[in-house]
Amino acid sequence: MGDATTIAPPKLVIQVTVNGTPHRNEVEPRLLLVHYLRDQLGLTGTHVGCDTSQCGACVVALNGKAVKSCTILAVQADGAEVQTIEGLAEGENFHPVQQGFWEMHGLQCGFCTPGMIMSTVALLKRNPNPTEDEIRHALEGNLCRCTGYQNIVKAVQYAAGQITTGSQAVNQSGNVGTPRGE
Amino acid sequence: MRGTIGASLPRPDAFGKVTGETRYPADLVRPGMLHLKVVFAGRPHARILGIDTAAALRQPGVVAVLTAADVPYNAHGLIEDDQPVLCAVGEKVRFAGDKVALVAAESREAAAAGASLVVVTYEDLPAATDPRAALAADAPLVHDRHGSNQLLHLPIRKGTIERGFAEADIVLDGTFSTSWQEHAFLQPEAGIAEVDEQGRLVVETAGQWLHEDRRQIAKILGLPEERVIVRYAAIGGAFGGREDLSIQHLLALAAWTLRRPVALIWSREESIVAHHKRHPMEIRCRWGATYDGRITAVEAEVIADGGAYASTSAEVVKVATLFASGCYEVPHIAADGYAVYTNNVPSGAFRGFGAPQAQFAAEVMVTRLAHTIGMDPVELRRRNIYREGSLEPTQQPLPPGVSALPVLERCVEEAQVHLGYGLAPQSLPATTSLVAESVEADQTATGSLTPRSARGAGNGRHSPSHLRRGVGIACGIKNVGYSFGYPEQSTATVELHGGGDIERAVVRVGAADVGQGSHLALRQIAAETLGVAPGTVEMVCDDSAEAPDAGSASASRMTLMGGRAVRDAAIEALAKWRDTDDLHVEATVQYRPPATTPLAAGTGASQPNYCYGYAAQAVEVEVSLLTGQVQVLRIISVHDVGRAINHQQVEGQIEGCLAQALGYALLEHFQVRDGRVLTPYLSTYLLPTALDMPTEIVPVILELSDPNGPYGARGVAEMPLVPLTPAIAAAIHDATGVWLTQQPMTPERILTALNVGTALEKGSSNEITTTIDTKSTVTAHASK
Ligand code: FES
Ligand code: FES
Repeated sequence: MGDATTIAPPKLVIQVTVNGTPHRNEVEPRLLLVHYLRDQLGLTGTHVGCDTSQCGACVVALNGKAVKSCTILAVQADGAEVQTIEGLAEGENFHPVQQGFWEMHGLQCGFCTPGMIMSTVALLKRNPNPTEDEIRHALEGNLCRCTGYQNIVKAVQYAAGQITTGSQAVNQSGNVGTPRGE
Repeated sequence: MRGTIGASLPRPDAFGKVTGETRYPADLVRPGMLHLKVVFAGRPHARILGIDTAAALRQPGVVAVLTAADVPYNAHGLIEDDQPVLCAVGEKVRFAGDKVALVAAESREAAAAGASLVVVTYEDLPAATDPRAALAADAPLVHDRHGSNQLLHLPIRKGTIERGFAEADIVLDGTFSTSWQEHAFLQPEAGIAEVDEQGRLVVETAGQWLHEDRRQIAKILGLPEERVIVRYAAIGGAFGGREDLSIQHLLALAAWTLRRPVALIWSREESIVAHHKRHPMEIRCRWGATYDGRITAVEAEVIADGGAYASTSAEVVKVATLFASGCYEVPHIAADGYAVYTNNVPSGAFRGFGAPQAQFAAEVMVTRLAHTIGMDPVELRRRNIYREGSLEPTQQPLPPGVSALPVLERCVEEAQVHLGYGLAPQSLPATTSLVAESVEADQTATGSLTPRSARGAGNGRHSPSHLRRGVGIACGIKNVGYSFGYPEQSTATVELHGGGDIERAVVRVGAADVGQGSHLALRQIAAETLGVAPGTVEMVCDDSAEAPDAGSASASRMTLMGGRAVRDAAIEALAKWRDTDDLHVEATVQYRPPATTPLAAGTGASQPNYCYGYAAQAVEVEVSLLTGQVQVLRIISVHDVGRAINHQQVEGQIEGCLAQALGYALLEHFQVRDGRVLTPYLSTYLLPTALDMPTEIVPVILELSDPNGPYGARGVAEMPLVPLTPAIAAAIHDATGVWLTQQPMTPERILTALNVGTALEKGSSNEITTTIDTKSTVTAHASK
C-alpha cells in the first residue's frame, strides 16, 4: 500500500542543550537538525533557503562551531550544545554582531541575517580581527540576495571593533564607515 | 518632523531580523494544520488522459487530493487568465512546472508520500521550446485556442528608417542573446490559509501586491473580494518573482474547500521549477551613425521567450522594444518586439522588466559605433543622449525631469577619480580590437579620450601577464511605474489622534515591504509632512482588509506612488486637523500620476510613461586569458533618484541590485533543455557570493527633483541592473579586444570568443564583417 509511515524506523531519544536550555525529545532518525529546531522547538529564527547546503540561512553553532543545520541530523546533535540566533542576545543587550548588523544596515529582507550573524560569531571567535578579505572568505557560504554584501562586511567590521577595542575606537577608525545621510 | 527626509534612520524591522523574532511565511505553520504538496507535471507538453488519486487517498494521513474539478474558475493571470490553477483531465500541461493535483495531509511526510502516489497518465505532445521556431506556422501550439504562439507583436516606428540609414556614414549589425534569470529570493514560497470565525478566507504569505492577489483568489473561488483577506508576513525578497500567483491560490483553494487551516512550503527546487523567470531574448539590431557622431537610425527585432503562460510578457516586451534604442534620441526607428508562447518555464516580471536585455544590446552597439567612427564612447553618448523635450521612439516628448546627461557626466567624473578613466596620456595602438571594426574608423580616429584603463595592466595583449584589465562605461533608463495606459494609482489613509498636538498618526497603505525598506520610506514621508517624529507614525501595510490598495511593490514605483499618496493624505489630514477640535481626523487620498497612453497599432505612438530613472555606470574588470574568468574590481553606479528619502536605503538598493546585475552579467546561467530546467538548485544555479562582489563599489546619488514624486523622489530599485551587463562587456572588450554578446558572459564563452578572435587575427584579413562566438556581426560601409 506504499505506506511511508509504517516502514519508518523507530524514533530515537536525544538530549540537546539549546540556547542554554536542556531538551529531551523523541525524533525520527532522519530528522534534520534544522527541522528539529524549527518544528519541534519552535525556534523559527533559523531559516531554510535551499535543498543543497548552499545558502547558509540555517547556520547555528554546534558546540561553538558554525554548522549548516540542514546538513546535520538531529540525532548527531545528541549530547551537544546548540546556539541559535534566539540565544545570542544577553537579556536586553544585543550581541555585538547583532548590533553590527543593526548599526551598519547589514540587512534588507533579513532572511539571510540569522545565518550571517551566526557565521560571523564563529568567525570572530577564531579570528577577532579579520581583514576584509578574511571576512568575505568566511561568509562565502552564506548567500544574500538583497544587500550586495557591502554593509554585511561593514557590520562584521563594526562587530570586530566592538569586541576587540570597544565602540570608541571603532567610531574613530575610518574603515567601518560613518553615519550617512545627515 | 522636519529633516526626516534623507535621514538614514535605522529600519524598525531590523530588530526582529537580528534576533530571529521576525516571522516569515514558513514560520507561521501551527500544529494541526494540513500540509499541502503539489503534484507537478514534470514534462513540457502533454495531454492529461487521467488522474488516479485512489492510492494517494489510501495513504494514511492524506485527507484529500484536489484536482481541477475542485476549482470553481480554473484560470488566472496578472493580465490574461490563461493559466490553470490545476490542469484538468482532457486538457494539457504546458510546462514542466504546471500543477496537476494538490495533496492535503496531516503531516508534510504524508503529503509528500501521497503526492508520489497520484498517478497521472499523459499523452506526450511535441513541445515548442525555441521561440523563433515557435513562431513558424507548423510549430506545435502551446495554447490551441490562441491559434498561434505569437502572444504579442509590437511595431514601433519613428521617422523613416530607410532615410535614417541613408543619412548614416556607418552601419553596424549586432545580434545579442540573453538567458533566463532566476529571482532566487532567499525565502522560498510558503504560507498558510484558513477560514476565520466570520467566514472570511485568510491567506497569509509573501507577495508584492495584496489587492491583486486578493482579486485573483476571489475570482478563482467565485467569492466577493471582501470575503478574502490577504496578509503578508515578513517577505524574504521578491525582485518581481512574487508578482504572479505561485502558491497563494493553492493555499486559498485548499483552505476554502477543506475548511481546515492549511500550510504549504516549497523547496528551492519547487520554487525554481514553478515560478516565472526573466525573459530570455534574442535581439537583432542595426545601428547607423554619421562620422560626426549623430545616431541616425536604429532597427531592431526583439524576440522574447514568454514561456507557457502570458504573465506580464506583453508588458515586458513593450518595455524592451521601447528601449531598443536605449536612452538616445534617434530620429529614425523601426523596432519590432515579439512575445512568444513556448513550453518553457513562463517568463514575467524581474527587476528591470525588459530594460536590461534591450540595453545590453543598445549600449554595446553605441560603444561599437563610437569605436568605429573613432570617437570616445562617452562623447558619442553625450551627443545623442536624451535631454529635456527629446522625442521618445513613440514620438512624444519625454516626461519632464530628464537627467540622463548630468548622470552620465557625473559618472565620467567619478570614473576619472576612481578608475583613472581617460586621463592618462595614451599611446596605445588604435587597432587592438580583435573584432575588425572598421577601416574607416582608423582613418578618422580623433585621438580623443580613450576608454582604455589608464591605471591597470590595461590593454592586455601587450602585457606579459595573462591578466588583463579594462574599463567600460554604459548608461541606462528605466520607467518608474506602470506604462502604456495601464491603470496607475496608489491610495493611502492617514489618521491623526490627539488633543492639542498630534499624539499618534496611523498611515494605512497596502504597500508590500519586500525587504527594500518601503515601510520606513513611507513612514519618513508621513513624519516629514505631518511634522511629527517618525516614532509617532504607525504603519498599517500588510493586510488587504486594513489598508487601501497602493498598487504593487514593483516597477520602482512605491516610493513615488505610495509616497505621494501618503504625502497627499497627510496634507489633507493636517488641514482637517487644523479646522476642527475633534480628537480624531482621517483623510484618504488616491493619487494618480499624469496619464500614460496605450501604444497605437502599427506605430506604437503613445505617451508610454510618466517618469523615468536614469543611470550610468563605470566598471573596471580583470580578465584571465587562461581561464576566461572575469573579476569585477570596481563599480561606479550613478543614479538620479530625485530625492533620497533615506540615503542608506537608497545605497542599499543600489548595492544589492548591483549584486544581481553582476550575477546576471557573469554568473547566473539558467539552463533549460527540451523544456526541462537543468539548474533547479542553488548548487547548479550560481548566485554571487561576498567574494564575487568587488570591494570597491561607489554608489553616487543625484537628487534632481521629479515633478510629481513626494519631495521630488523617483524610483531606484531596478536602474542599477540596466547598464551593468553592457558596461562589463565594454570593459572585457577594453581588456581583451573581444565583444561578448551572449548573457551571461561565462568563462567558457569568453575563452571561445578569445580563441575565435585570435584565429581571426592570425588570418589578418581586412574583411570587415566577422562573426564571433555569438553570431555578432559587424558590418561597416560608407554610404556617402
Ligand atoms: S538551508 Fe541552505 S544551507 Fe542550509
Ligand atoms: S537581506 Fe535578503 S537575503 Fe540577505
